[in-house]
Amino acid sequence: MYRVSMIRKELVAASAEPLILSLLSKGESYGYAIIQEVKARSEGKLQWTDGMLYPVLHRMEQRGLIKSRWGESETGRKRKYYSLKKDGKTAMATHHEQWSLVHSVLAGLRKEQYV
Amino acid sequence: MFNLEPSIAEWRKQMLAGGIKIPVPLEELESHLREEIERQMKSGLNAQRAFEDAIQHIGKADMLKSEFEKVDAMKVANQLKRCRIIMLVCLGVESLFWTTCLLLKIGRFSEITAAQQMSGLAAVGVMILLASIGLLGHGPVILSRKVRDLICISNGRLVGLLWVWFFCYITEPVGFLFILPKFDGGPLWIMLPPAGILFGFIGGLEKAAWKKTAVADLSASQS
Repeated sequence: MYRVSMIRKELVAASAEPLILSLLSKGESYGYAIIQEVKARSEGKLQWTDGMLYPVLHRMEQRGLIKSRWGESETGRKRKYYSLKKDGKTAMATHHEQWSLVHSVLAGLRKEQYV
Repeated sequence: MFNLEPSIAEWRKQMLAGGIKIPVPLEELESHLREEIERQMKSGLNAQRAFEDAIQHIGKADMLKSEFEKVDAMKVANQLKRCRIIMLVCLGVESLFWTTCLLLKIGRFSEITAAQQMSGLAAVGVMILLASIGLLGHGPVILSRKVRDLICISNGRLVGLLWVWFFCYITEPVGFLFILPKFDGGPLWIMLPPAGILFGFIGGLEKAAWKKTAVADLSASQS
């Protein structure tokens, strides 16, 4: 079985925004939950330095892609929840289009190697 | 004996000393830290190990600070953009207003001569020129944010007063310029060029400071 190694930091950085946008498109969430979900979905191969997620979230908020609000967890702990804005949905669609294109080019090239 | 709360308090102090600001983003990072500690402890780690693992995952203050600084720079750039747009709109409205009044000889300009009309239009032109010089960031460089804010607020009030004064002069004889029996071209030369300087000054302060710091950053990165 082909085993995927840890993903390089350049790719981790490039994929952060589309992943965050896609996760938030399912509903509002907070930093810790976003990181845990990415870890779980990538089976731990996509590892962020936890603290580095927040500057990315703040930058996306500045650009008007997402918005935030302070709330509380079930246990009363303060949490900052993020949700998608209209521009974020548009940016997400653009990301999906571009990543799909990269994926299809790669898949096509890989297929040709086996012909 | 390890004690979790004093350890978290100590971590907060280190983050603050490292330049991480309160309440945001430190509160958010602390909330994250606590969630991670809780998860690790549920999975069987003791409090000390869970804490050590969690602070390692969060990352070091200097690394986080440089990333948050980039976000702050983005905020400043957005503010600068907004300020310049407001100043450009004000300048546009004021220029249009005076040009229309002069060309169509409205209000107190009803009896002006062709020479006075040209003189008035030249005053409008000088205002636009002076404002443009400032708005392009060729004004004075003031690096202190507080001083820049203070100048912007006080000059903003001054511009507001000038508008009121102009408006009163052209529509109703309630401004102190009502003592002038009729327009002689002088008031516009007294008022419009200083207004241009103020527009340019307010709109260009941030840009001049930004240019200076950008050059300093570039020199630092090259040395």
